[in-house]
Amino acid sequence: MGALLKPRYREEASFEEVLAEHPDFPRLVALKIDVQRRGVLYTERAQAAVDPDIHQLRSPYIFGSRDGAIKPLPESLLLRDGSTILVDPTPADQDPYVVDYQDGQFVLLDYGKVLDTVELWPKPTYYDKHTSTGLPMSHIVSARPQRLNVFQSSFCYFWAENEGCKFCDIVNHTKQQREELGVPSRLRPADVKETIAEAIREPGRFTNICLTAGSVTKGHEIFDQEVEFYIELLQAIGENFSTRRFPSQLISSAFNERQLRRLHEETGLSSYTSDLEVLNERLFNWICPGKARLVGYKEWRERLVRAVDIFGRGNVGTGLVGGVETAQPLGFKSEKDALEATLAEAEYLAERGVTTVYIVWVPRPQSVFAGQKAPSLDYYIRLARGLQDLRSKYGLSVDFDDYRRCGNHPDSDLARVA
Amino acid sequence: MSITLPQDVIDLLNDRDTIKVLATVNDKGEPHAVFKQSLHVGEDGLIHSLELIETSRTAKNLVGSIWFERKLSILLRGADNRAVQIKGRVHQYHVSGALFQHHYLAARERLGDVDLAGVWVIEPEEVVEQGFQSRRSAEEAQHPTFIHLDRIAAH
Repeated sequence: MGALLKPRYREEASFEEVLAEHPDFPRLVALKIDVQRRGVLYTERAQAAVDPDIHQLRSPYIFGSRDGAIKPLPESLLLRDGSTILVDPTPADQDPYVVDYQDGQFVLLDYGKVLDTVELWPKPTYYDKHTSTGLPMSHIVSARPQRLNVFQSSFCYFWAENEGCKFCDIVNHTKQQREELGVPSRLRPADVKETIAEAIREPGRFTNICLTAGSVTKGHEIFDQEVEFYIELLQAIGENFSTRRFPSQLISSAFNERQLRRLHEETGLSSYTSDLEVLNERLFNWICPGKARLVGYKEWRERLVRAVDIFGRGNVGTGLVGGVETAQPLGFKSEKDALEATLAEAEYLAERGVTTVYIVWVPRPQSVFAGQKAPSLDYYIRLARGLQDLRSKYGLSVDFDDYRRCGNHPDSDLARVA
Repeated sequence: MSITLPQDVIDLLNDRDTIKVLATVNDKGEPHAVFKQSLHVGEDGLIHSLELIETSRTAKNLVGSIWFERKLSILLRGADNRAVQIKGRVHQYHVSGALFQHHYLAARERLGDVDLAGVWVIEPEEVVEQGFQSRRSAEEAQHPTFIHLDRIAAH
């Protein structure tokens, strides 16, 4: 007889108990957080109700999933308030939420109890088309309900020296996608331009274009080659628009002023993000060894501040892998200490015009932190509230990274009522 | 608790000549009312409203309605002066998908180069006749002594 699998979340306070401690926090945003934290499992009934003609199935993504598999399951979910949940399929033994199909609608279940109705992401029309070079357009540009994602290259040069970020599975996942789906490891600007031209034919479907990739450290100065790739790509994309600037977000390495000015002046890019991942220098050095050795925490942070002079307040941000500051053995032992330290650093950035958003840390199976557990729902609620309060305090908007333009940051969902 | 709207109220909501006002509150209870001619009854029997201004005060208050189950009020005045109030709350906000796209195209066809942020879906919970004659009759029936005496004076 096999050993009983120990549920991972049943010993915690329940969703309703945690929410009762935060009566001023939106239930749907808390639900989004907890679903991201625990993942989802689609029942057979839910899978049978998926219609590939109208629902978006999983397409190439920069990071892998919790079950480590690439399967034709729904891409993800929409909540009733129009916000997205970016969540991937999760094995049953990890105690995920369950997506079922009951009485003609998809529902979210926790231990058999219906918590809310959800919808599947609608499939964009360009997903059925191919580029003139014969590639499926869904492999070139992937869609969220209102955003286009361009993953220029999923190789990260920090991994070449075994200095990849410890929460990240980007290179392992790239290899898997290339082998199982034939996804190109680097995109050609002409293919991207053609795909985006097709995507934006669909009325009312997209509001933003996000470009991101692994770091490319090569060049005369560090990241010069990465900047060159993005300029080429952004210029090609820009040919699809009648305006010089178009709603867009670049999530990239921390570029110097010269590189940032080139991006701003030579392309139509409208916002710039560079992820510090964890707002603590000691933990940054441990968790992001490549970034720490080649740039350093303080320099990465100051490059963000200098970017505000170029892109403007409200157009520069940094992303956190929220909760990774509690990774063990070197992370904070108490959630209270982790929260205080994170918000103090976020305030330093907010004072200087840089906005901070987080994603919920998912310890992915192909990352160094596989098997660890993310912090509590209570922690993520406090982190979301804390980051949005800082934006309000310093008059920072987060238009380029909100519930619609991104959808992956519980804290910027709160900006909807700010 | 959601109710099924009577057909005459559906007709009033769907009539383009009806004056339609949407009143919401924020987290401090401050009221905010706007004319909202896009209010209509959708195929699901619920009330739909188009959001053309994504960060309007009304839009923020409607997000608050869906997040915290705050009530809202819709006031209708028909071409025949019939007045009806509907109380309810937001059930859903569509920002993509077939319903959104249908309204996106229709709004641009009708209004020109406008954007559509989303489509609110409102569950009606109560319908109240607000016309003066019906309100007066109800008041007199419930509170027959609420009257100035000169109105019933013998001389």
